[in-house]
Amino acid sequence: MANYVMVLDYKNCINCKACEIACKEENGILLGADKHRIWVGSNNPKGEWPNLDIVSASFLPSQCQQCENAPCEDVCPTHATYYDENGVVQVDSDKCILCSYCMVACPYDARYVDDRTTTVDKCTFCSDTRLARGEVTTACQNTCPTKVRTFGDIDDPDSEVSELLRTREHFSLKSNLGTKPKLFYLT
Amino acid sequence: METVAKKSSAIKEFIRSIPINKIGVKDLLNFEKSPLNLFLAALTLVFLGLFVVGVLIYLLHGHHAYNVTREHPWGLLIAVYIFFVVSSTGLCIVGSLGDVFGFKDYMAISKRAIFGSIVTIVAGFAVIAFEIGHPVTMMIYNVLTPGLTSAIWWMGTLYGLYLTFMVIEFVFLLKNDMKSAKIFGLVGLLVGLAAHSNLGGVFGFLNARTISNGVFYPTYFILTAFITGVFIAYIMMGFRYKLSFSKEIQTMLNGLAKIQALLISILIFFVTWKFLTDVYGGMPNRAEVAVHILGSWTFWAEVILAMLIPLVIILASKASAYRAIFFASLSGMVGIFFMRYNLVHDTQLKPLQEMKIREYQLTPEWVHYFPSATEIMISLGGLGLCLTLYYVGTKLFSLDSDHH
Repeated sequence: MANYVMVLDYKNCINCKACEIACKEENGILLGADKHRIWVGSNNPKGEWPNLDIVSASFLPSQCQQCENAPCEDVCPTHATYYDENGVVQVDSDKCILCSYCMVACPYDARYVDDRTTTVDKCTFCSDTRLARGEVTTACQNTCPTKVRTFGDIDDPDSEVSELLRTREHFSLKSNLGTKPKLFYLT
Repeated sequence: METVAKKSSAIKEFIRSIPINKIGVKDLLNFEKSPLNLFLAALTLVFLGLFVVGVLIYLLHGHHAYNVTREHPWGLLIAVYIFFVVSSTGLCIVGSLGDVFGFKDYMAISKRAIFGSIVTIVAGFAVIAFEIGHPVTMMIYNVLTPGLTSAIWWMGTLYGLYLTFMVIEFVFLLKNDMKSAKIFGLVGLLVGLAAHSNLGGVFGFLNARTISNGVFYPTYFILTAFITGVFIAYIMMGFRYKLSFSKEIQTMLNGLAKIQALLISILIFFVTWKFLTDVYGGMPNRAEVAVHILGSWTFWAEVILAMLIPLVIILASKASAYRAIFFASLSGMVGIFFMRYNLVHDTQLKPLQEMKIREYQLTPEWVHYFPSATEIMISLGGLGLCLTLYYVGTKLFSLDSDHH
């Protein structure tokens, strides 16, 4: 049993979107811009040329936050959304009724409808693919050329994620909502 | 064995003793062929046809036939479902005034309102069956692995129970067993109110959607249900008595109009304060959404059609211009539809993905949605189904209290 988290050194992101491709390839996600488990967000640069504010256009890679207090799990009427033994939020497609309540409730827009099963799908930290094969990295982490992502067990004090969180300042997205995300962004 | 046989024969006898008119197709076609009636009959048939076409398209294409998206997963069908179940709860409240709470003036509509509450919720279920992706899975896993923290689970389960109680109450009303009708009516009303406030809770629990989060919707749903029930009561009575009401019915309509004026006033007070706190509270993601809503024509359609027109007519006539209030109630129901549509759409107005995630795209500002033809067809079909069931009911059962 592990307690998986992901730490993102997001300032290293160069928006190459290799992580998005790797995720689709590894997990067999269907083509289509709105069918995605992970994404890289960016903002339009503020200001007028030549005084453009380049900091405002930084990149923020993201995905399901694997919340410890996940709104999507709370609102699921059939327990199709559940926490697995590694603390990863999963969707049991046999139980999902596609009421879409979890999609409305997720504060991160991390869920979408998978047309293969006609149920809701989301990032699973590659639980069904890489972790199931015994690997200890996710596809997005493995492919990243600038080593933005670090994945591991936060309950293991010697893990790289534990070390990073002990030594670097970090924040979570929309932490004011009390969802306790397990994606940590290094500052 | 013998007791089982006795029990089953007692149940059969009970069912046989329910007063139901024996009707055939000829009886269904036997109505006054006035231009208005013919128009309504044709319109209902068109709606039923649209329902069949809409459902066929949905069965072929699934949710791709709808304009729902990742950012706006709930569309028109959710709004129409809410519209019908609000109507049902409202009619249950109006029906209970007489047979549960014993207000004699309102006995005249009890049976008709309770029957209306059954018909409207059946129409609601018919519509939602084509919005929920896997309705059969829902019935299985709602029981096997119930999500007790989910407002949708409570709402669905309680509405199922509510329908059962309403049917039992209606049977006792038909049999003129007022004591049993009162007991089942009271339980049904309480379960219905619980179900309906849970429907408000479906939105109220959304802590990521600050415009809907909080206690407002669970309470507002009960208030607007009562208002909707009174609107429909007026419409039912208007059609039943062709706008020419007896003294007894006038007394009831006068009372209902006075209640309606009070309820609409409270609603206006609630909505005014909701927007005042939303806008001037300045809470991020709530204030700008509220301002955006105030700039949408659908919000003003709701305010003018469901609040201002009925209230002004009731107040100006001192609750006695029954014909005018009948037409104001029709306007009110159109307004109530917009109220439901706005509720669903406005909840999803603000994108939760606040950054742009594709090239050649601007940062998302508002989520746009307009229902697809299939969604509109199924929604109108729900209305057609509701009207058809009600019409058949008026032939099958004696819905007037004066037959007692």
